Amino acid sequence: MLKKTFTINKSTLTLLSASMLSIGLTACLPTEKQDAKVVINKNPYPSTYQVLPAQTTLLTNATILTGTGQRLNNADILLANGKVIEVGNDLAAKDANVIDVQGKWITPGIIDVHSHLGVYPNPQVESHSDGNEMTSPNTSEVWSEHSVWPQDPAFQAARAGGITSLQILPGSANLFGGRSVTLRNVPSETMQGMKFDGAPYGLKMACGENPKRVYGSRKVLPSTRMGNVAGYRSAWLAATEYKRAWDKYDSDYSAGKNPQAPKRDLELDTLMGVLEGEILIHNHCYKAEEMAVMVDLSKEFNYHAGTFHHAIEAYKIADLLAENGNCAAMWPDWWGFKMEAYDMVEENVAIVDAVKNSCAVVHSDSSTTIQRLNQEAAKVMYRANENGFALKEEDAIKWITANAAKSLGINDEVGSLEAGKKADVVIWNMNPFSVYAKAEQVFIDGAKVYDSSDAKYQAKSDFLLGQNLDNHTDTANSK
Amino acid sequence: MKNTNLLNSLRLAILGALTITATAAQAESIAITNATVYTVAKKGILSQATVLMDDGKITAVYSSDEVPESLNAETIIDAKGRILTPGFIASKNLLGLVEVGAVSATRDASDKKADLTFDASLAFNPKSTLVAYARKGGITNNLVMPYGGENTFTGQSFAVNLSGELGESVVAKQNAVIVSLGASRKGSRAVALQTLGNELADAKKALTKAEKAKAKKTKDSKEAKQPSRAQQEMYALLAGDKPLLAYADRATDILALLALKQEYSLDLVLVGASDAVLVSDEIAKAGVVVMTSGIDNLPSSFDSLHNSLNNIAKLTQAGVKVIMSNSGESHNINQLRFDAGVAVANGLDKNAALASITANVADTFKLNTGRIAVGKNADLVLWSNDPFEISTKVDAMWIGGQAMSLKSRQDALRERYTTQSNMPRAYTK
Repeated sequence: MLKKTFTINKSTLTLLSASMLSIGLTACLPTEKQDAKVVINKNPYPSTYQVLPAQTTLLTNATILTGTGQRLNNADILLANGKVIEVGNDLAAKDANVIDVQGKWITPGIIDVHSHLGVYPNPQVESHSDGNEMTSPNTSEVWSEHSVWPQDPAFQAARAGGITSLQILPGSANLFGGRSVTLRNVPSETMQGMKFDGAPYGLKMACGENPKRVYGSRKVLPSTRMGNVAGYRSAWLAATEYKRAWDKYDSDYSAGKNPQAPKRDLELDTLMGVLEGEILIHNHCYKAEEMAVMVDLSKEFNYHAGTFHHAIEAYKIADLLAENGNCAAMWPDWWGFKMEAYDMVEENVAIVDAVKNSCAVVHSDSSTTIQRLNQEAAKVMYRANENGFALKEEDAIKWITANAAKSLGINDEVGSLEAGKKADVVIWNMNPFSVYAKAEQVFIDGAKVYDSSDAKYQAKSDFLLGQNLDNHTDTANSK
Repeated sequence: MKNTNLLNSLRLAILGALTITATAAQAESIAITNATVYTVAKKGILSQATVLMDDGKITAVYSSDEVPESLNAETIIDAKGRILTPGFIASKNLLGLVEVGAVSATRDASDKKADLTFDASLAFNPKSTLVAYARKGGITNNLVMPYGGENTFTGQSFAVNLSGELGESVVAKQNAVIVSLGASRKGSRAVALQTLGNELADAKKALTKAEKAKAKKTKDSKEAKQPSRAQQEMYALLAGDKPLLAYADRATDILALLALKQEYSLDLVLVGASDAVLVSDEIAKAGVVVMTSGIDNLPSSFDSLHNSLNNIAKLTQAGVKVIMSNSGESHNINQLRFDAGVAVANGLDKNAALASITANVADTFKLNTGRIAVGKNADLVLWSNDPFEISTKVDAMWIGGQAMSLKSRQDALRERYTTQSNMPRAYTK
């Protein structure tokens, strides 16, 4: 019955997996000769990340914030084979490197859901300004990972601040800015060497002032907020048609027909990924009324509205966000740089967090504050507590760990210190919510990637290497 | 909101506290007793000390064993051991010259026509919502530094207090000349340095000539030609009457400025000065003040490859007087205290950090504030704890002896949205 011969259409970009083939061919009786099935390769730039050299490590006598809302005093944590093995008291392990960290604090690795490291790197020269394809209101076809300069020295600075995973987003000039990528914060010569294996892609969308300003000034839609929404709707209409065409192709093929595959479209590939639930929305959106419209928009086209970034006014609609399962990623206090950032309140994160089923995240969007996301969270906690809240460190740490992981769709693997999770761990010299706190050691997948007191574990970017070399030498004319 | 009840009771407590403060505001004289006083002056740090203020000035600073039996003050506030510092002085920002960054009609910090004489203090808005918010960070005074125009000389700085009062906020107009040097995207950095050097040389020549003419004129009855406004400003620089605030990062630019300082006896202040650590001995020897951020540690340009979190610590150790300035934004200058904390965590002495945002600024710009000493303006902050800590807040503030409100527009918004009501929020005021 099975056809013995078939040809792979080499002009397609797709890879054909054996399992898909067998499903396709055994599902029913073919009535006509089928061409090889066209399948979209969803991971053409796969991660090549390798865990750095690691050993079994037992950290003892620490104050541990687990990221699950718990605080353990005088507790131990065992890391082995890249995973958290156990968190508790009086742990023991054979052949473990035991480090007594009495008086110090341990948290999960810090996660920043909004970063432009590598795409808007330091030095801030034109040649490296690769973070926003500002040439069309819809650039869903661009992927931020294709702009990442892994030698951005800010990656090292962020690691010294405990950042272990971060999402690199395209900029916000477009209605659809393109795909984001989630990275492990390890030094590498390639983006692929940093890529978080298995993390879902994100799609950057932007509300408000930026798209309408950038394109309005070029006499291109949008020049208004209603133009913004028209732009989103047109794009989702096209994506819905595109998805329908692919679904039909797939079902016809499964039915044994030999349909013509729809023409690939990179822009629509990304939007279809959202409609299929594989790509998560990350929406730059400050204002309450706009977030509410974006939630309805997502319902109109049957996708999830995802995470609202820079959600300055999330506190005005905290209930709506929780009800709809949206995360809100917020600054503690950046404000006033434009009209949509005028209604800042320092307790925004706490107000959002106080609602049941909420997902409050503290983000940076800055190569400076990414280095102290712990202090950004601290500002919220203390200001909120001065105004009637009763937040503790074990609550606030979730904004930069577990909730951030949830926003990025990686919470099964990172964001908390629980058995089986990746061993992303930060040892702080004191309570991380102090202004004087510093990360002493940082582990990614159980491997030490930073140590404040050991230069061996302090990576340096190629860019900074060899700057300001000594002009003189002790051994003159040595041969 | 589950916190509403607690919030309401807290709000009542806060209102109570405000009432007391309001009474104090009307008082002529106030004594703050039992305070840990960081004088940033000769007396150093005093515990269980008492500070008296009257008619806007500090009138007495008593250590614990000097406190008289009865205090001659209408209001007495027991600090209960809390820390009292001079109000902080922010710098290198556009406070009062911008309300919303991207709303150009609310920006008054630059103008194509602006030149050496640009006096942006005329545009200062004490009613800006940024002022009240900045007070929450313990900031009582500020040095505003406008961007000016396209000229090498971008205008002049001015000093304000954060009283928010119309007609009383600007403390000193046109108190330093700002010049912008360093990397240029359009041409060579050499041109700006040459322009500055030539202007100084020309001014010195003109001044010498004018002085000669004046000497002659005592015999002659002819009226002397008045120098232009710009020329007068250059003369003020040459006389050391006004500091020259020079933006420069690379070591070559810094050394060129030090040479000009030497040649013309300028009162030079280096701004930014990323590479200052490479030439810190030269800067210290020249007695030049460096105004720089405590948290800029990335190589943002080829002029700033040596940025580091411990730069201020290194400069201070080399004997350089440092002013810790805000890093960029005008809306968040209240965070200056956290920048100071980060610098301390990276090796800066705590007292040096405090001086860098109080006395050092006051000394450089001849402001009668920044220290707790007799005769200084009563610009004071009482802190709930360590002023640099995130967990600490301002418990009370006085500017010119007047108790200040610590409520900002942000607080009003928070209160609206954390108050339960069955009516739309717009009715909650």
